[in-house]
Amino acid sequence: MDSEMISGSALERLLYAGRFVVCAEMCPPMGADKAAVLKKCDFFRSVVDAVNVTDNQAAIARMSSLMTCVFAREGGLEPILQLTCRDRNRLAQQSEVLSASAAGIRNLLCLTGDHQSCGNHPDAKGVFDLDSIQLLHMVAGMNAGRFLCGDEIKPPPRLFLGGAANPFAEPMEMRVMRLAKKIQAGARFIQTQPVFDISRFEKWMAAVRDEGLHEQAYILAGVMPVKSTRSLVYIKERVPGMRIPGEIFARMLAARDPREEGIEICVETIAQLGTLPGVKGVHIMTAMWESIIPRVVEEAGLLPRLDLPAPGQDISQTIGGASR
Amino acid sequence: MSQLARKIAAFCERHPTLYKSILIAENTIKRPLLRCQSCGQCVASYTAFTCPMRCPKQVRNGPCGGVRPNGHCEVYPDRYCVWWLIYERSRKLGWQKKLLKYHKPVDRRLQDTSAWINLMAGKVEGMSFRKDLDEEGR
Repeated sequence: MDSEMISGSALERLLYAGRFVVCAEMCPPMGADKAAVLKKCDFFRSVVDAVNVTDNQAAIARMSSLMTCVFAREGGLEPILQLTCRDRNRLAQQSEVLSASAAGIRNLLCLTGDHQSCGNHPDAKGVFDLDSIQLLHMVAGMNAGRFLCGDEIKPPPRLFLGGAANPFAEPMEMRVMRLAKKIQAGARFIQTQPVFDISRFEKWMAAVRDEGLHEQAYILAGVMPVKSTRSLVYIKERVPGMRIPGEIFARMLAARDPREEGIEICVETIAQLGTLPGVKGVHIMTAMWESIIPRVVEEAGLLPRLDLPAPGQDISQTIGGASR
Repeated sequence: MSQLARKIAAFCERHPTLYKSILIAENTIKRPLLRCQSCGQCVASYTAFTCPMRCPKQVRNGPCGGVRPNGHCEVYPDRYCVWWLIYERSRKLGWQKKLLKYHKPVDRRLQDTSAWINLMAGKVEGMSFRKDLDEEGR
């Protein structure tokens, strides 16, 4: 891993210190409601180390990711700004990066973004000026003090850059190649799609380790608690690039209380992921079921999330029991 | 060689009728064969002669996360993902290493211009004639 920290974000410091981190996903509201964001913050505070704030997730119009990140900071959270290529060209993306850094946001996840045809405005024009790897490359350049055109930025933004990976989509070999390209373009942390098929994830992780990529970026494995068999069917059929093995379906169908079973499956998955070499944390995605996050984190034995070590402080004394 | 190419390109650009004839010739070959989208900066020599600009998201650096288990596109479930085709063809040709090449953001000014003349004029990155990437290709 890089010997130096770039952004000094709380998330980067935790990962650098070798803590097993917990991230979770927060959806901005579909109304002009700041109070709703602050209320949601209560589910995450002292439960997770950082929250991903989605950028018009699933191509559905919501409050902007940047503004929700600002509110989340007010609510006492460490936000990760998600930035997609669907809604903005390179000019808008660069201004978003500058604004985010000026607002004190220190983590950025670069994504290509779901296609507009998946969402509630399928008649929209998708921008896709850059792709996620070009976006990472551009923001890495901005961190180093240059706009994409080569002009100087004074002062440059300071962002901890991340990318996404989907270990479950085809073709498998290209998934690892693309991860390598993302890391080379500047990604320092990687969040994966939710893991249901653990054996497939293990295979991907082994390929990642063979290439030594787990030493160049922090890999956070995604997990998702599901409420019902119906939502599982929805994910399998409507969310492209997802794999859900038959035994998970069987367990959900056989369960007397599918909600409890869904939570149990999620907690078991976290335990299995925690033992895999190269996995540096988990990323909990809930698709609007944020209220369950405290319970999942608690049952997974990942509480308490201790206070962040301040820069310069001896990290080893603050980690305590939460380190894995 | 590059000096000569530059001169030829400049000559073509000075003569609109000649330029147009070359553009029509290029399109006649590339449109049916590659389903060329005329971006003016061809990367087909890296992508097993399959045009990545056919992708609904126009990603030039590899497949997005939405490829279905059968290799089909997330947007058009009845079509193959173009990157799935690129991967399969690269595998058959032994060109996988070429897929590691980072492609720069598209210069949108070059839309509907001749990629061949742009190449000779030095406006775009070179083509790849080798199986592996050369040092500067990475």
